[in-house]
This record gives sequence, structure tokens and C-alpha cells, in this order.
Amino acid sequence: MKELLTELKRKIVEELQLKEVNPDQLADDTPFFDGGLGLDSVDLLVLVAMVDRDYRVQIFTRELGEKVFITLSTLAEYIAKTRKTK
Amino acid sequence: MNKPWLKHYEGHVPHSLTYPEIPIHRFLSDTVDRHPDHVAVTFNDLHFTYRDVNERVNRFAQALLELGVEKGDRVALLLVNSPTYVFAFFAVMKLGAVVVNLNVGIQGEELARCLNDSGAKAIVTLDLFAQGVYAGIRKTGVKTVILHSVFGLEKTLSLDQGVPQPLLFQELLTSAERAEEPAVRFSPGDVAVLQYTSGSTGAPKAAALTHCNVVSSVLQSDAWVGISDAGNAAVLCVIPFFHVFGMSACLLISVLKGYRMVLVPRIDLMDILSLMETLKTYKPLSFPAVPSLWAAILSLPPEVAREHLSSIRVATSGGAPLPRWAHERFEELTGRRIAEAYGLSEASSATHFTPYPRGGPIGSIGVPLPDTEAKIVDRETGKAECAAGEIGELVVKGPQIMQGYWNNEALTSAALQNGWLHTGDLARMDQDGFFYLVDRKDDLIISSGFNVYPGEIEEVLRRHPKVKDAAAVGVPDRIKGQAIVAVVALKPGVQGDKKEFLKYCRDNMPEHRVPKAILVREEIPRDPAGKILRRTVRQEALTL
Repeated sequence: MKELLTELKRKIVEELQLKEVNPDQLADDTPFFDGGLGLDSVDLLVLVAMVDRDYRVQIFTRELGEKVFITLSTLAEYIAKTRKTK
Repeated sequence: MNKPWLKHYEGHVPHSLTYPEIPIHRFLSDTVDRHPDHVAVTFNDLHFTYRDVNERVNRFAQALLELGVEKGDRVALLLVNSPTYVFAFFAVMKLGAVVVNLNVGIQGEELARCLNDSGAKAIVTLDLFAQGVYAGIRKTGVKTVILHSVFGLEKTLSLDQGVPQPLLFQELLTSAERAEEPAVRFSPGDVAVLQYTSGSTGAPKAAALTHCNVVSSVLQSDAWVGISDAGNAAVLCVIPFFHVFGMSACLLISVLKGYRMVLVPRIDLMDILSLMETLKTYKPLSFPAVPSLWAAILSLPPEVAREHLSSIRVATSGGAPLPRWAHERFEELTGRRIAEAYGLSEASSATHFTPYPRGGPIGSIGVPLPDTEAKIVDRETGKAECAAGEIGELVVKGPQIMQGYWNNEALTSAALQNGWLHTGDLARMDQDGFFYLVDRKDDLIISSGFNVYPGEIEEVLRRHPKVKDAAAVGVPDRIKGQAIVAVVALKPGVQGDKKEFLKYCRDNMPEHRVPKAILVREEIPRDPAGKILRRTVRQEALTL
């Protein structure tokens, strides 16, 4: 899980070109939106694509998105759980 | 005028069109006559046929009439893509009143300035935006506030004395006793839409678009694509109707053709996720989108992207140049090309398009639409025409070009000279007649397809109690075209960090203007005349 979180932080920073963010300094509970990474809707879609491409996990409904895209940890947990059950 | 581009027109595209002298809402009336049972609007689980839409449009028009809205009055729409937008837009048209098309992200003083500038008498909005609207309308001439209640938030509003009580959209619809179209006389030169657009000074400016302008623009784009056999095909409406690209390519083309508008409202961030299911369920014929949206979808695994995009026969990108990799990926996946359109609020929508379906050279904005003239002129004088290959300012002329800026003769005479609209875009035309954007004459930033002037961000940041000065610039971004970076200089003796300023931006400006990064510095570099040295600021932003 820790490994996955570290990898996710790096991928998110790379994918969204968050140049002033150091992935190693991101807390596990950093929120994706207000007060956290401050992402917008297009950023969200870019992350959905990355998660599907790199982990084969699809988050294609708003109901699921609301549960998963809360913090870096909630996303990592969902990926870990979904990958295991596949 | 030499028009080298005409040779690139596909066989189905005439060099010139005939433009009927009709008001915009004739598109709706004609489609209701031809296809009353075609589905017009799909919004989550709600579906409205063209007959349903027309009945609600007429009822709402009658309700507005009873509220005193008359021909020529301005009615502001502060709405996401929703059935309410469609009903309200056409109701205002049928009354001969004028739609004031507002970005839902604007609020507070900026909203008040647009309402005052337009002289809006009424505003139609969602309960979700009601608090922001009431914060802005106190010092305006708005006499009627109509809320579409989605969340029941009207019950929690606490209103100051003297502001109009909100009326509920749903109640107005059901209480209107008459459902016939109001009898109003039109002239094609009547103003139909005030399209607010970014201004370099931060002051609002609205392109005044007539019925004739908008009808011409829609017919030009329709002729360009030339599809006539698609029945009740779906159009994916993600681009907001409050933007001319969405108003034309999503709303008005659909109504003209009798297509089904599948609405993706984007009230909150998560709404975008319904896009994937929507693509799969409705298999749209047409998907107009901005480059950032294309880039995000085309980043999906190839088999997933192919599955979701396979139905799209008319893939259009506008608002900013689409990167080469996105063009190539789409073609690899679907065997089709994404058509690029270039346009601006002042032109009702598009002036240029890449040939459809063949496509044009990647990186080109295409060629002028029928009856549209375009040339490149000397950037300093704005007069001498440049030779092929030379860079200058793109100027355009045609029936879709606005009459001027609303109530602003100075800006109008600067932008419109002898009927030629000076776009502010630096471009070149190749020997073959294809046009290419090169840069901007001014400091405009185009991020996710939205035009943003640095002044619009700087003005807000300078209002922060800790900020002495601010500057904003655009830097290249793979997905968004350009990302915004702001630099703030703090007042003496105060401390602040970038998170605090980012939050302030999110609370005080539309999403598309919020900087991606904020730097805190001691001073903003300025020249002796006090002008911000944007090149210096940009260089620092690029080192991030």
C-alpha cells in the first residue's frame, strides 16, 4: 500500500505537471480538490485516464468518483482493493 | 478578393450560402413542425421531445411577458447546460428580448458589472448560484430573479430589504395559462445575444450578436459539415451553452437539425465523470470539445478510448489549438479526423474550419467558412496586407461578425474597421490558403479553451488584504494548452503562503481563471513606466 501511494504521488505530479509540488512531501491524506491539490474537472478526467491506463481500474461514474477521489489515500485504497479482486 | 482557400472546400460545401431573414427561434419552430417527437433534450433520466420543449418555451415566454419582459429587454442567463437553459434561451428569443449569456463562474462585483452594463431586467439562474446572484444584484437594475430549484436552496436564502423576491422557474411554467407563441415582430438586425467576453482591462465587454449574425453562423457551420441523414442523432453537450462554441455547435446546430442534445451540466467537478457513461449510452454523432477535454479522453487506454469514441462522426475541437499527438491518437483509434474550428465571441462562433471530413494540415485552424473573408494585415498599422507566409494580425469579415460591443463605441471602433474584425490573433496564411495561429497581439491566456486576460486575475489578487501587487502569465501545459501562474508581492511586514492565495482565488474567481501555481515574491518586475515585465515573470514561471 505504501509503495502504491508513493508511486501514485509521483504519477499524479507528473501527469498533471504540478511542477512546484514535490511528490515526496505530499501527505497521504492530501485532498484532491479544495484546500489540497486544487484540481479542476479536466485534471480529474486526466487522473481517471491514468488510473485506467496504468492500473486497469475504471472510475467512470460520479457516484464512484465521489467515494474514491477524496484524498490520495482513498484513491490508493480503491486501486489496491479493486486490483486484488480482479 | 483572392480566396486561395476555396479550392479546399469539400464537394458538398457551396462557396456562398443564402441566409434567410429569420429569427433564431425559427430553428425550433421548424424542427417542431418536422420532427415533433424527436428527443430534443436528455438530462440524466429526463427526456423532452421537441414538442415538449416548444410547449415549455412558449409557457415560459408567456410568464416572462406577464412579468413585464418586452422586446429589446435584456434577460441574463446564469445557467449550466440544463433543460432550463434551453427553455429560457428560446423563450427570450420568442419575446424579441436579448439573452445576456453569462459564465456561471462569475460572481460578486464582476457579475454586477455585467448586469449593469447590459441593463438586464431579469435573471434566470439555479438555486445553487442564488446566493452569489443576490450578492451581486443589489446595485443593479435587475427587477426579477427566477430560480430553478434543484436543491431547494431558495428556502435557506436570507434576503436584504429591497431586493426582488425569487420566483421559481417550475412554478412559472405550470402557472402560465397560455402556451402559444407570443406575437412579436422581428427584424434580422435585432440584437439577440449579448455575449460577455474577457477584456484586457478587466471591464466587461459584450459582443452584440443579432439574429442575422447567429443564424448565419449556424448555417455556415452546418453547410461545412453537410450531414443530412442523421435523424435524431445525439450531440454530446459538454461545452457550456454560455460560450459561443457551445451555443452554436451544441445548442443551435442540434435544434436546427432535430438532434438530441445530451446535456452534461458540470455543476460540480464530479459531473465530468458521467461523460464516460454518456458516451457509451448515447453513442453521439457529434462531440464538440475543447483541446483539454480531448487530451484527457485521448489519454485513456486505446481500447477504452476507441470503445467510447467510435460513434463520433463529427469530432470538433475549438477554443485553442489541439496538440498534434491528440490529432494523431484520434485518427489511430477511429480512422477519422478531428476538425479544428477557430472562432470568437465577436464572430458568433466560427470563422474558420478545417475541411470536413478530410481534415487540414495539423496545426492549422483551417480555412474561412463560406462568405467569410480573412486576411493577414500588418500588426502595427492594421492596414497593409501581408504576403503569404508572413505573420501579422488576422482580420475577418462576414455575416456572422457582431455589430459591435454593447454600449461601447470606443472598443467597437478599435475592433471593427470597415467591417473587418481585428481579432488580436497573430497568424499567417500559407500559399495554399490555410491559416495558422502564431501568438496573440496582447497578453491573452487561453487555458482549457477559455480566454483569460491577466488583468482579470491580477485585479482580484490585488484586492487581497495582504497583497501589494500581482502579475499573471500563461505557461505551456500539455493538457490545457496554457496553465496560469500568478506571482504576488506582499505588503510590508505581512506573511502569506501560496495555499492561502490559491484558496482566495478559488473563492473569488471562476474555475478557469484560478492559477495552477502561485509564487510569492518581494516585488513584481515593472518597467520605469510601471508596466509589468511579463516576459520576466513568464521566464520565472517557466523554471517551476
